[in-house]
Amino acid sequence: MTAKTLMASVAIPILAAATLSQAQGADFNWKKFQGKTITFLANSNPVSQALLTQKADFEKLTGMTLKVDSYQEQQMRQRLVTVMNAHSDEADVFMTLPSREGEQFAAAGWYADLTPLTKDVAGDYNFADLSQALLKAGTFGGKLTSMPMNIEGPILYYRTDILKKCGVEVPKTIKDVEAAAKKLKACDSSITPFVSRGLKPAVAYTFSNMLHNIGGSYMANGKSNLCSPKGKEALETYSGLLRDYGPPGVVNYSFPQISALYRSGRSAMSFESSNELRTVMDGGERLKDTGLAPFPAGEAGQVPTAIGWGLTISAYSKQQDAAWYFVQWATSPEIQKRMALQGIAPPRPAVANDTEYRKWIDEQPVRKEWQAALDVLATKGSSEVGYPIVANPQSREFIGQAVQDLILKQKTVDQACADADKALDALIAQK
Amino acid sequence: MPQATATLTPDRQRLELSALSAPAVIFTVGMIAFPVVYTIWLGFQSFSSTGKQSFVGLANYSKLLSDGEFWHGLWVTIALYVLSLVLQLVLGVWLALVLFHAKRLHGIVRSLFISPFMMPPVVAGMMWLVILDPSLGAANYILQSIGLPPSDWLASPSLVIPTIALVDTWQWTPYVALIVLGGLQSLPPSVYEAAQIDGASPFKTFQRITLPLLLPTIVTATILRSVDLLRFFDIIYITTQGGPGNASNTLNIYGFRVGFEFFNIGYASALMLTLTAIVFGAVLAFNRLRGAVAW
Repeated sequence: MTAKTLMASVAIPILAAATLSQAQGADFNWKKFQGKTITFLANSNPVSQALLTQKADFEKLTGMTLKVDSYQEQQMRQRLVTVMNAHSDEADVFMTLPSREGEQFAAAGWYADLTPLTKDVAGDYNFADLSQALLKAGTFGGKLTSMPMNIEGPILYYRTDILKKCGVEVPKTIKDVEAAAKKLKACDSSITPFVSRGLKPAVAYTFSNMLHNIGGSYMANGKSNLCSPKGKEALETYSGLLRDYGPPGVVNYSFPQISALYRSGRSAMSFESSNELRTVMDGGERLKDTGLAPFPAGEAGQVPTAIGWGLTISAYSKQQDAAWYFVQWATSPEIQKRMALQGIAPPRPAVANDTEYRKWIDEQPVRKEWQAALDVLATKGSSEVGYPIVANPQSREFIGQAVQDLILKQKTVDQACADADKALDALIAQK
Repeated sequence: MPQATATLTPDRQRLELSALSAPAVIFTVGMIAFPVVYTIWLGFQSFSSTGKQSFVGLANYSKLLSDGEFWHGLWVTIALYVLSLVLQLVLGVWLALVLFHAKRLHGIVRSLFISPFMMPPVVAGMMWLVILDPSLGAANYILQSIGLPPSDWLASPSLVIPTIALVDTWQWTPYVALIVLGGLQSLPPSVYEAAQIDGASPFKTFQRITLPLLLPTIVTATILRSVDLLRFFDIIYITTQGGPGNASNTLNIYGFRVGFEFFNIGYASALMLTLTAIVFGAVLAFNRLRGAVAW
């Protein structure tokens, strides 16, 4: 299916439902499932935390009870695997990352098809305003499986004061990043010039942006493509930046370590998730000396990684209609605006342009840059993180292994990419 | 009025008691047996990436033999086990002797020494992750302030196993020491009096009397630590998740990832049952040893 036909397959039913909902207008009965209890399996991250501050509002509006089962990301997936393998109806609604597990969960039949449910929707829901790219990312085999909760992706956090002190311009290209890191290393040895994810399972999130900017792709003609010239260039550039200009021990770095290093003032450029803004700015020390931008362009321009958490309904839920009321409430313009005011980037352009939200953005220059970077993510972003196959989570392991092999100088780029391609081809062949 | 039980025959009495306790026994046995039986059954199944399930007999076990990651995991598990166990036994016996002979403030000293193993392993893992961070951690700060070069600790493929062994040793040596201390306190004083009369030196006394008499206690400590060390998970999961690369990928971590991250529950069950067999084998071997050194 081409992108156009896929878009059409998503957009047409949704727009039809939207038209229908406009007709329903203010007649929408939020109390239709009063007295029911919905169980929500949540990943305890900033997105769900912001959403759950509004829990009382949902319960008051619908008369339903929202039972929250909240865990850290890994533990949430463990719980989900157990519940879904048992075909249990314990979780009605759960959070999902379509870019990671979407193919796998859809093929396993764990997602309910939301398309028919979207006909029962409040008049002000405004489907057309939701990010079409994220809706597309949550559509598998023509079935809409999740509604986007936020938009996020890795962006470059850089220290304006250090760059100025060292006479370094803000990088415009990947080559500029390498040149800037080299100059920063010579200028101030106490500062880590560049940091990004080095922890094996976490590498794909940031590496994908580099690969796509350079013009590489994970697959070509149904085979793994890391040993293509562009693939090797991406592997060498990413690992070289971390090996030569990253912090010692970068192979264990994921978002907590990167944010801590940047917040403490020890790194000049950090390539990390837009979601980390609040953590990085915690304490206020980095508010005045931080600039933000999407990752600089490569030969293929800027193809930033843009993903989002989605809310989905379990295929085994016995009350999917009632669960849909929670999903539509949680992804409605009003709730997404309230979440945006807590620093959760909205997956709706209309919310991003809302007066109240713009006022919040305008309060600090760094928020303006953050929103500008997110606008680029929303318009140019790709949700491909790791291989577009059912075993996507496992594919990330092999990408991370190749990068680590190069950071630790355990293999040459030819060996590392060949080993990764061999393992990934076997994974691609699996059904 | 005569009591009803007085008229019951012993057989009837036994039958009634059995009937009364049966629900509790059935429940307890069921709770223990069900997960084991279920895991054995899962070990004969294959789950595709999409969760499709099929019976594959012993295929998961034959796959183990040709799986390089399994053999690597086994090697990492054994290396970590041997290194940690030796360190904990040597330091634990030493610490027990110190505590046994402490004349002053022994209450405070004992409380201080046992505090590490009171700490949840996740908390200990998080704490050491911060201390050992090569950029921001206290460990490298101390090394550099005394003129030594910084270390990559958990980020170095060659240092990660010794570093994790040191963290585990920090946490569990006091536990070994407490067990050995109990053994020391139960040793008969008469043999020490005889040694003193014979003019034995403190080292000879330790070598010829204390250590041989302590052996059953040390073997008990070895069994208890073996069970934990062969199933080592929490601190590795918190600090390295099996990395860098797969340098700290123990069998337990590997099985967890296969099951819960790659969703191949069948193969993960086969891995875990193999690990369970290894743990059982070690416990049985040490139990025999305990019998041989008993006095």
